[in-house]
Amino acid sequence: MNIHEYQAKQLFKSHGVPVPGGGAATTEREARALVNEHGPDVVIKAQVHAGGRGKGRIVKRDRTSRMYNDLRRDPERYEGQISGRRRGGVRLASGVEEALKEFRPLMDKDSRLVSVQTGPDGAPISAALIEQQTSIAKEFYFSIQVDGANGQPLIVASAEGGQSIEEVNRTNPRAVLRVPVDPVEGFPSFRGRSLASRLGLPSSAIRPAGEMFANLYRVFIDMDASLVEVNPFVLTSEGTVVAIDGKVGLDDNASYRHGGYEEWRDRSQENPTEIEAEEANIGSYIKLDGDIGCVVNGAGLAMATMDTLKLHGGEPANFLDIGTVNRKDRVIEALRIIVNDPDVKTIFINIFGGLARVDIVAEGVVDAVKELNIQQPLVVRLNGSNVEEGRRVLHDSGIAVQTADELGDAAELAVNAAASGKRRPRSTG
Amino acid sequence: MSILLNNRTRLLIQGLGNEGQNQIRRSLDYGTRVVAGVHPGFRGGDSFSHGNHSFPVFATVSEAVEETQANCTIIYVPAPGAADAILENIAAEVPLIVCITEGVPVHDMIRVRTALADSKSRLIGPNCPGIIQPASNCRVGIHPPDVFMPGNVGVVSRSGTLVYEAVDQLTRAGIGQSTCVGVGGDPIIGEQQQAILRRFNSDPDTDAVVLIGEIGGSAEQAAAAYIKRSMNKPVVAFIAGATAPPGRRMGHAGAIIEGEAGTAEAKIAALEEAGAVISRSPAEIGSTMRRVLEEAGKYQPPGGSAE
Repeated sequence: MNIHEYQAKQLFKSHGVPVPGGGAATTEREARALVNEHGPDVVIKAQVHAGGRGKGRIVKRDRTSRMYNDLRRDPERYEGQISGRRRGGVRLASGVEEALKEFRPLMDKDSRLVSVQTGPDGAPISAALIEQQTSIAKEFYFSIQVDGANGQPLIVASAEGGQSIEEVNRTNPRAVLRVPVDPVEGFPSFRGRSLASRLGLPSSAIRPAGEMFANLYRVFIDMDASLVEVNPFVLTSEGTVVAIDGKVGLDDNASYRHGGYEEWRDRSQENPTEIEAEEANIGSYIKLDGDIGCVVNGAGLAMATMDTLKLHGGEPANFLDIGTVNRKDRVIEALRIIVNDPDVKTIFINIFGGLARVDIVAEGVVDAVKELNIQQPLVVRLNGSNVEEGRRVLHDSGIAVQTADELGDAAELAVNAAASGKRRPRSTG
Repeated sequence: MSILLNNRTRLLIQGLGNEGQNQIRRSLDYGTRVVAGVHPGFRGGDSFSHGNHSFPVFATVSEAVEETQANCTIIYVPAPGAADAILENIAAEVPLIVCITEGVPVHDMIRVRTALADSKSRLIGPNCPGIIQPASNCRVGIHPPDVFMPGNVGVVSRSGTLVYEAVDQLTRAGIGQSTCVGVGGDPIIGEQQQAILRRFNSDPDTDAVVLIGEIGGSAEQAAAAYIKRSMNKPVVAFIAGATAPPGRRMGHAGAIIEGEAGTAEAKIAALEEAGAVISRSPAEIGSTMRRVLEEAGKYQPPGGSAE
C-alpha cells in the first residue's frame, strides 16, 4: 500500500528525520496559513499516489485521456517545466497571492493529475503539500527496500539523486552504493555515518546524515514498510541535510498489526471497483483496460490467463485472483462485480481446483447466472479437485455457457465471444 | 534419489484447523506417511484419525519430533502465527519445513531467513502449494492429487495453480513428474528457483525441468545464471505476467513490477539467453516439454518401464 508524500513526511518528522517546514492543505485558508508560516518562497506539490508527478500535468477531468496519450508518446515532453507553463504537479511560488494562484487549480474538484503512471483517467488530487523552499547544494538518493534474494533489508544510496535510480544504475552503476543490513544489528548511526562518508558528504553533514539514515531505518521497521525512499535528500547550502521528497510503501500483509493502516489509507486514490471488490472480500482484484472479465483462482494462473487472452488477441478487463473457493456465494459476489463493470463484454471463468473445489465454483456460477441475470457470453474452464462433479453441475443446469477443458481452447472461445459481442452491440435490459 | 522428499519422509502437520484437517486427509489418502500433528491445546494422548490412519497430536514441535522422529513439517498455521511456527521448527531442527500460509508479513520473513541461515533446516514457502512426489506417494501440500503422475520431469514454480496447470498439460502429453515444488509467491521465501534447479540437476530421477516464474523480483535472473553456468538438463520456462501493468501487486505479494528486472520481458530474455526453451503461452508448456524430451531422447511413454 502506498501513502502520500505528506504522510511519509509526518512519519519522517516523528522519527527525527529532517524535512522542510510545511504541511498539507485542502482549503485556501489552510494554504494561506501555511504560506504565512513557512513562506514566502514555497513549493506546492499535488498529493497523488501515482509516480511521475513532476513530469505529469494537471488537466480537467474531460482531457485526461488525451494528455495521457501525449505523455505515453513522449514521457519527457514536460521534463523540467516546474514553473514554465505551470501546469505540472510540482509548482514554485513566492508570497501568498502567487501561492494561492498555483494552489487553486490543484484543488479544483475537476482537476486530475495525469502522468505516465496514472492511466488514462488520471488521479484525483487529495491535497497540496506546501513547504518552504530549500536552498540546495547537492541532491542525493537514499532508499531501504527488501532484498528478496538475500532475505534482508537493503539500503541503496547514491550521490546522484533527484533522478530515477534505475537511470543512474544504467548510466553510471558505480555511483550506486548497496549496503545490505544485518537485521539483528539494524542500522545504527555509526553505519549511517560511514555511508554518509562514502557518499562524499562534507564533514559538517556526516553526523546529521548518519542520524537521518538510522532514523529512516526506524521508520522502515516501526511501520512494517516494504519501501522507504528519499529521492532526493539534499545537502543544503548551510551544510546540513533535509529529506525534500519521501515515499513509503507499507506491507499489506502486516496491516493487521497496524489497525489496517486505516489512518494512512486514502480510498479516493483507489479504483472504486477495486474498493467494491475488497469490501465484497472476493480476493485480489485489479481493474484493467480490456473487455473480457476474468474470474480465476491463484495469482499465477490469473496472470497466465490474462497472458493467454492477449496471445489470442483479446484484452482482459481485470485481474482477479478469487483465492480458495469453498463457498458458492464467493463466486456469486465475484461475478456481481464483473457483470457490473460496463467494460465487460464477455466473462471468462478459469478455475483449477487445489484447495478450491470446482464443483462448488460450478454451483456458484449456475446460481449467479440466474440471480444476476447475466447477459454477457460466459466461457467456463474447470479443472482440478472434483472436476467431474463440477462439469456435471454446469451441464445439468441448462445455463447458456461455453466450456473447454484446456486453457488455450477456453481463451480462444472467450476472445471470439468478445469479438462478436463488439460487432453486435447487445441491448442491456 | 529424488529431491526433498522420498519414501522415508515422516510428515508432521502443524495447524490442524479445518483446512489443515481437510488437506491432511487427502495426503493420507494419497499414501503419504503422516506421523504427527501439532496444534495448540492438544496434549499427550490426543490423536487424529482418518479411515484406517491415525497419528498422535502434540502441543509442541519438539515433543512431536522427539516422539515420532518426524523429518518434515507442513505448516497450515494462519499468517499472524506462521513465522513463529517456522521458527519453532528451525529450533527443533526439522530438516525440511514447508509453509503453505499466505499473507506472512515480510518483516517476519526477514527474521525467519536470519534464523535459517545458521540452521539445520531448509524452508519451502511460504505462500506456496507445497511439494508433491508422485512416485513415493508423498503429498506435502494442497495439490489436487489426480492430475499428477510419476515420471521424469521436475517442476518448480512460484505459483501454485500454475503447477497444477503445467502438470495437467504434462500428464495429458504423457509426461510424468519426478517432484513438483512450489517455492511461493512472496518477496522473501525459503529456497528460490535456483536452489531447486540445483537439486533437480543432481537428481537421477529427473531428466528435464519445467520452470514457472512470474513478474517481480529477480529470482528468475538468478535461475537463468545458474542454468547458464551449471544446468545439464533441458529447462522449459514460462513467465506469467507479460500483460500485467507496472506498479500493481498482482495477487502475490512478490508479483509487482518495480524495476526493469521485474518485467516478464527481462526474465524471458535472461532465460532464453541461458538456453532455456521458452513457452510463450501458458497453454503450451506440456507440448513444448514433449518436444524437448523427444529431441533429447528422454520421452518415456506412460505405461512403459519407468526405471
